[in-house]
Amino acid sequence: MNNIMSNLTSTVMSSLTRAMQQGWQHLTPERQASQPPAAQSLQLQLTVKRGAFTLELNHSLSLRGVTALFGRSGCGKTTLLRAIAGLDRHADAQIRCNDVVWQQGNHFMPVHQRRIGMVFQHSSLLPHLSALQNLLYGFKRRVKHSAIQLEPAQVISLLELQSLLPLQPEQLSGGQRQRIALGRALLSQPELLLLDEPLASLDQQSRNEILPFLQRIANQTGIPMLLVSHQLDDVVKLADQLVLMQDGRIISQGPLPQQLMQPQLAAIGAMSLLHAKSHGSSNHLLKLSIGQQQLQLPAPQQCDNANYSPTSYRLRIQARDVALSLTPLTDSSVSNQLQVSISGFNNAPHPAETLVQLTLEGQPLQALLTKQSAERLGLQAGQQVYAQIKAVALD
Amino acid sequence: MMPELFAALSPQDWQAIRLTLKLCLYTTAILLLLATPLAWWLALRQSKLRTAIQAIVALPLVLPPTVLGFYLLLLLGPHGAVGSTLERLGVSHLAFSFSGILIGSVIYSLPFAVQPLLESFRRMGPGPLEVAATLGAGKLDQLFSVVLPLCRGGFIVAATLTFAHTLGEFGVILMLGGSIPGETQVLSVLIYDHTEAMNYAQAHQLSLGLLISAFVVLFIVYGLNRRFEREAVL
Repeated sequence: MNNIMSNLTSTVMSSLTRAMQQGWQHLTPERQASQPPAAQSLQLQLTVKRGAFTLELNHSLSLRGVTALFGRSGCGKTTLLRAIAGLDRHADAQIRCNDVVWQQGNHFMPVHQRRIGMVFQHSSLLPHLSALQNLLYGFKRRVKHSAIQLEPAQVISLLELQSLLPLQPEQLSGGQRQRIALGRALLSQPELLLLDEPLASLDQQSRNEILPFLQRIANQTGIPMLLVSHQLDDVVKLADQLVLMQDGRIISQGPLPQQLMQPQLAAIGAMSLLHAKSHGSSNHLLKLSIGQQQLQLPAPQQCDNANYSPTSYRLRIQARDVALSLTPLTDSSVSNQLQVSISGFNNAPHPAETLVQLTLEGQPLQALLTKQSAERLGLQAGQQVYAQIKAVALD
Repeated sequence: MMPELFAALSPQDWQAIRLTLKLCLYTTAILLLLATPLAWWLALRQSKLRTAIQAIVALPLVLPPTVLGFYLLLLLGPHGAVGSTLERLGVSHLAFSFSGILIGSVIYSLPFAVQPLLESFRRMGPGPLEVAATLGAGKLDQLFSVVLPLCRGGFIVAATLTFAHTLGEFGVILMLGGSIPGETQVLSVLIYDHTEAMNYAQAHQLSLGLLISAFVVLFIVYGLNRRFEREAVL
């Protein structure tokens, strides 16, 4: 046992040195191309009755990138995730991942045989093992049976774990523990990562420490993630697709930008997500383009770091930060002015307001106006207008 | 009387000491194997049977050892259900034999093995096992890589308490095994015999020995308890 451990430790350390020399080259696109296809399809048929609560699903989820499982607390998200993982066994459930049957009739594939990595809400580090031993717990067990997609050294550099490795779990902060838990799940060579509110037990500062790492994992490993969350902010920062749950049912699923236009989500916080291409920065201003149209935004601090210069950004825009005009404004301080067309109107939570659905180069955008303003401008579906964007959050 | 405390022990005394240690070691080994799955089931399963099983496990705590010994004698003796079946199979019945008192002490010390294990399994909870399972560890792997290290304190306390409790066993053995030298005459029974025969000096030697070893074992148990409480699970 000890021998294996020390062998592994020395393997890790030597590949670690290699990683340090090669920097981020471990995770170049060529390497990603050699990985197995990233999309996973999950077929779920599940009925769970617990007191007055019923979870009833018969769905097929196509998982690519980050899929958020979103809904209020108690809507059945965690129950669903635990059923997928095999942590709870429900009678008559059918669960298939790609062509592999995980549960059907009397067949029930035990948790440890499912190729999943799971990160729990609360710190889940095994308290009798050091951070390094925790990190390698799944790797040691899965490495015998499956091809390696991710090496310890890659994960250690991806999640910046090196200084934490010799420490014991009780010496780590909440955010650091979650980072080790994430790395540990990644190293168990999963085909699917299940994240059960991984940020919920963390304070705002630790949250902000973890989020960029989740984004890195999503961008650079290509392993599909199913992220359970009840925080729309986290979802919008991370997810590519959104599965909306309500009272034990899946009520809609699809790409996140389109899903954000759903009235149920607009009621929680009306916002839009735009994908923009980066054209570098000058004078601390980042130049972005969406289709033919240009934007300029204050460049984020990381842009100074030559190693980190993404080619595309996600722009989060609150509906209340978007104003509309019939003609381009020339005497306004707002410099990001985009030509959009109106595709429809939705009810806003406040009776005096309306949510105007817009299309910007094929991407959905929404603006929160008072009904009075909309009438004054005579806004109608199909009309071309100008959207002034007052504030953008970049990811 | 004091100098007699340091007189040499008789061969009969040594035989009783060896027999007692053998009984304690066998009981402890068997109970760890039996109590682990039982405590596991009690700690992690929600079942209607659980309350009944828990009450049965705790029975030896409240029953007079003579009652337990009496029923075991009926059951294991030549006319009992178990004893007569064994006789028919050509094996001798279990009353007044080492195997008989071994069964008696396993039952008598059961709560002392189950309780500390149950406590430590509960403290650990299902979380670490779920984590291990999602990382590819099967049931047996979980037992060795998670349960044993995390519940080490519980196992050590269960073993020492069982050992110490068997050391002090008297009523069950006297009822079920009598006092056959080399077979069922353990220390506590021999002390009784010495006293009956007015051999106070020999009784005192053995009693003092038992007193001191019981104190040492309990001292170790409480020391371990304190240490493992400090190693609280995160």
